[in-house]
Amino acid sequence: MAKLEAKLGMIVDSVGQFFSGKDQLPWCDSDIIAGCEREVAEAGKQSSDELLKECLLRLSWALVHSKRPQDVQRGIAMLEESLPGTDDPVQQREKLYLLAIGHYRSGDYSRSRDLVERCLMIAPDWRQAVTLKKTIEDKITKDGVIGLGIAATAAGLIAGGIAAAVSRRR
Amino acid sequence: MDSSSAPQEFDYLFKLLMIGDSGVGKSSLLLSFTSDEFQDMSPTIGVDFKVKYVAIGGKKLKLAIWDTAGQERFRTLTSSYYRGAQGIIMVYDVTRRDTFTNLSEIWAKEIDLYSTNQDCIKMLVGNKVDKESDRVVSKKEGIDFAREYGCLFIECSAKTRVNVQQCFEELVLKILDTPSLLAEGSKGVKKNIFKDKQPQADASTSSCC
Ligand SMILES: Nc1nc2c(ncn2[C@@H]2O[C@H](COP(=O)(O)OP(=O)(O)OP(=O)(O)O)[C@@H](O)[C@H]2O)c(=O)[nH]1
Ligand SMILES: [Mg+2]
Repeated sequence: MAKLEAKLGMIVDSVGQFFSGKDQLPWCDSDIIAGCEREVAEAGKQSSDELLKECLLRLSWALVHSKRPQDVQRGIAMLEESLPGTDDPVQQREKLYLLAIGHYRSGDYSRSRDLVERCLMIAPDWRQAVTLKKTIEDKITKDGVIGLGIAATAAGLIAGGIAAAVSRRR
Repeated sequence: MDSSSAPQEFDYLFKLLMIGDSGVGKSSLLLSFTSDEFQDMSPTIGVDFKVKYVAIGGKKLKLAIWDTAGQERFRTLTSSYYRGAQGIIMVYDVTRRDTFTNLSEIWAKEIDLYSTNQDCIKMLVGNKVDKESDRVVSKKEGIDFAREYGCLFIECSAKTRVNVQQCFEELVLKILDTPSLLAEGSKGVKKNIFKDKQPQADASTSSCC
């Protein structure tokens, strides 16, 4: 009985988390993205490759932290395209991390976890990556618990939230 | 001071921002404050974010703390996060003179340019006092700077945790003492979790949480 209560507690908790789950990672507004976009356009006119690279990294940071799914997708595409040509280990892990954020935001948790593990192999003390990994793992177990919750209880009142959470998992 | 990072009810929501040169220990201070840990760390990419629930001055508070990257290449990105902050923590390293001179060269100017909040409380923090033998910036210099720029001031160490809690507590107490900031802090309060689904509805808190 105590076990069931604990489980119910966790279900309620995870539904709460589902709605307030944005507490772990920063968000980025569309005006910030627009600003980064302008910088990239201006850097493109000049000849400095270094500057353009920096601007592109900022733009991809902004895109994968966006609230709009289409921005996140664009950020992922940009990063995937530029990753093979990146030899510098610092830049490489930064891009891997941002890709991991992008996949986390678009709901591909296992892909996101693989990427963040690659970051941690390069830099084990990287706090942001450690936090992201924990966030992903919490998400995976919580979604699992929500799935169980459907089978175990007729939780009609929270069905909307559960359906959304489950469909994001697939 | 009671504290936790698990979601709970609160009376006010405050946005705090941490700025300063790369390597001065912003992320370390935040980690020390939110989870009592200290370890070596890689530089922050872009902006990082932590939430902490505390009870200070008899009020339940949700602190949304934004930890910015000090590296110059992220500056245009980090400058967007000054908006709407009720408290700004400016950190320097007492063992590195350049991090102190950059406060007036760079960071105070960034606040003037990007902070949207007239009454926003500023806190000057001299970090790494555990390395007393390497100290090059005296406490008096810190105090003088704080007086000139109208900031609160504290010296602390993320490593030994000396004054870390006090740093955040004093800043928050001062915010609680400022009616205009208090009014903003209660605007951000959303007890109904379903309302949280439209964070864009309120522009002043949309980049907050
Ligand atoms: N001895 C000592 N070392 C510290 C202290 N605080 C931070 N450090 C060390 O200083 C280094 C930089 O700390 P960070 O917290 O990453 O610095 P930061 O200001 O966040 O740097 P950016 O993210 O690049 O802006 C780390 O290796 C920390 O271990 C302190 O109070 N005492
Ligand atoms: Mg940092």
